[in-house]
Amino acid sequence: MPLEALQANFAAAMADAGREADLMQALQPGDPRTADRIALYRGNLAAAWEKALANAYPVVKALVGEEFFEALARVYAQAHPSTSGDLNRFGEHFAGFVATFEHTRPLPYLPDVAALEWAVHRAHYAADAVPVAREAIAALQPHELLASRFALHPACAWVASRFPVADIWLAHQPDSTVGLPESLDRRQAALVVRPHWRAEVVETDRAEIAALEALRTGSTIEASIDAALAIEPDFDFARALLGWLEWGVLVESPRGDPAGSR
Amino acid sequence: MLDTPSNRTGIGLRTPHYRELLAREACTGWLEAHTENYFGDGGYDLHVLERLRERYPISLHGVGLGLGSVHGFSQEHLDRVAALVGRIEPALVSEHLCWGAVAGRSLNDLLPLPLTNEALALMCTRVQRMQDALRRPILVENISTYLRFAREEHGEAAFLNELAARTGCGLLVDVNNLYVNQCNHGVDAAAILDAIDPRHVGEIHLAGHVATDLAVIDHHGDRVAPPVWELYQRALRRFGDVPTLIEWDTDVPALDVLLDEAARAEACRELVLAEAAHAA
Repeated sequence: MPLEALQANFAAAMADAGREADLMQALQPGDPRTADRIALYRGNLAAAWEKALANAYPVVKALVGEEFFEALARVYAQAHPSTSGDLNRFGEHFAGFVATFEHTRPLPYLPDVAALEWAVHRAHYAADAVPVAREAIAALQPHELLASRFALHPACAWVASRFPVADIWLAHQPDSTVGLPESLDRRQAALVVRPHWRAEVVETDRAEIAALEALRTGSTIEASIDAALAIEPDFDFARALLGWLEWGVLVESPRGDPAGSR
Repeated sequence: MLDTPSNRTGIGLRTPHYRELLAREACTGWLEAHTENYFGDGGYDLHVLERLRERYPISLHGVGLGLGSVHGFSQEHLDRVAALVGRIEPALVSEHLCWGAVAGRSLNDLLPLPLTNEALALMCTRVQRMQDALRRPILVENISTYLRFAREEHGEAAFLNELAARTGCGLLVDVNNLYVNQCNHGVDAAAILDAIDPRHVGEIHLAGHVATDLAVIDHHGDRVAPPVWELYQRALRRFGDVPTLIEWDTDVPALDVLLDEAARAEACRELVLAEAAHAA
């Protein structure tokens, strides 16, 4: 059997236990254990995909339970087959998948929790960047600060939700001091930051997200404040800025940017 | 081949040991990292690897390229390996004699190739392509398998020898995998060891396996088994002074357990080397 056909037949037998016959043609005949050993490969694959998914989505797993998660991983792997030899990428479409999957519909917050977990997962592998220091900001005159442009740390991301996603995520962390939210009927946004190598989640709001969105697209601090004020007239910029500095959200604008900083 | 004065035994680098390895003085000969775990643009894993790189020779061991996949071989994946090799400048780079993808679909496992002329030709092309991208030779490792193909044209040793002769790659001999295949298929592990050309061998792997009713599985989750230690001594006698790695991936134990296994391997190595020196 040509190698191309053999590999196609092997892949078919991995996807479907009912399609082992063609692969069998390529194998040494007469071993009664062959079908079970093909199943062993199939089981290993399912286990590898589930493990990769569980690694990226521990909170989703905790929310739905081990058994359900295992089943979910199996269906996901069929709906969105792995396309990379890097298992850390498996799971990219999981949030979208749970949003449309019939059996997770009773948990409407699950897609946003999954989206947040994927942002945390990505943040773990994001490029390094040197955050802007408090002292550098303190050295600026107010008008200089307002005219400044900053980039955001590559790990920085956010998820805005109809549900308290940040609290749900925080409540499921090891050594968490945050309890599960008493009511799910509360809008919340979560900001992903990576101040000291470890990705962290902090609560944020739509106004702060608007400011960060503006900064990300190259606006000045002044324009980013305006963007936030348009959403929340009481937006407290000084407080937001302190958080950004503490979490290492701001980094120097890329050099050679024609818009320049300051 | 390693940038140390000797070929001491090393251990696999696993996340649960990061903290302790960073805190301790150098406690093993070298570290082998799974290449794909460091594919990020940055972040903690890469940071740790770069810090440990200052203290240990590093080997980058790929588990996801699937050199023998007819379709679905990813240039992007190879580019990432090349970028990481450029960043870490490891002492060794290795991959497997296996395949792992079809068009548009990755099967994230080390899958067996039939040992045919067609597979040999493809492996030669791919190893060459990888070595060209990395601008250095790689090591190719024998895998364990649960299935045997009909109508193969080469034995495993002959296949590996030919691959190395044609491409200039080295061989990473996994002694546990040979033993597992012996249990699963009745091949003669010692005979394969004896047929591998020692000039090509650049590294040896040791790991634990588990026996089930269906097959012996190289789960890398236990100490090295006695028959594998025996084969290891045979390998050392034949291949001479090459670096050995203790691999442990499932139920990763305390660092000291790995170091204890490495010390056993090191004792074996010294014994065999002393024997060889005495005989000479």
